Amino acid sequence: MAHNLQRALVIACAGAVLGLADNLISPRRIPYIAAPKVAPQPTDFISLADAKQLWQTGATFFLDARATADYAAGHIAGAYNLPAEEFDARYPQIATILAPDTAIVTYCDGLQCDLSHHLTARLRQLHYQNVRVLQNGWTVWHQAGFTTTTGDKP
Amino acid sequence: MKTFHFILRFIVGGVFVVAGVLKIWNPASFAGDIANYRLLTETLVNLVAITLPWVEVLAGSLLIAGIWKRPSALLITVLMVIFLAGIGQAIYRHLDIRCGCFSTLEARKVGLTALAEDFALLIAAGWLTFWYKE
Repeated sequence: MAHNLQRALVIACAGAVLGLADNLISPRRIPYIAAPKVAPQPTDFISLADAKQLWQTGATFFLDARATADYAAGHIAGAYNLPAEEFDARYPQIATILAPDTAIVTYCDGLQCDLSHHLTARLRQLHYQNVRVLQNGWTVWHQAGFTTTTGDKP
Repeated sequence: MKTFHFILRFIVGGVFVVAGVLKIWNPASFAGDIANYRLLTETLVNLVAITLPWVEVLAGSLLIAGIWKRPSALLITVLMVIFLAGIGQAIYRHLDIRCGCFSTLEARKVGLTALAEDFALLIAAGWLTFWYKE
């Protein structure tokens, strides 16, 4: 068994070296060490009451950071779907209706969910300054009985 | 028994090659999936996302090719134990996350199905490693 274990280690190391080498040349390469996340600041969040108020003005964009299927199953009425994980593919479509100073509220679902934070970070990189997260957004919104809708349209 | 051994090697190896290649195709997404398990520090997430898929592909290929069968089956067994532990703790902690087992090909969430599949793979790989006599 000992020499099997040794060889298993050799395979693991060889695989790791291949991976490290591939990441040098791959067009899909990622940083070897991920940049540390910036911890969310209190000002990054918006309360449910404030979000509702903004929603009523109609001048604020609500962006649902969840996957398309979750969005279709139910979302805040008027919210657009921009899944954080498909940001690059889906952003150009959304960009046509956003201005840099547009007030934006992002949300996903669950206190553990950080999709809305990822989405907010990406938007800020693109110089949207007025972006805030409605934490646990979908749950708190529909539990409060505020307007929701289903389907793949806002 | 010999045919069975061959078929099992092909299945286990094949699953690993496919799963690995899909992850190599989209390392950024796989890194996100790993991070979601909340087991590794941020520093390690990308390193694992870069290396692990290649280890999977290499071990799977060797198992299929019949080169270093037992060592590659052993490595796969060890990986399956790690994957099962990761999925188990995710279920225990009620993490509502994507499995990441086959990269973004499936939107499957971590759950009992994933646990059962991985357990079946563990048994198969364990058999190839420990019980099969040439």
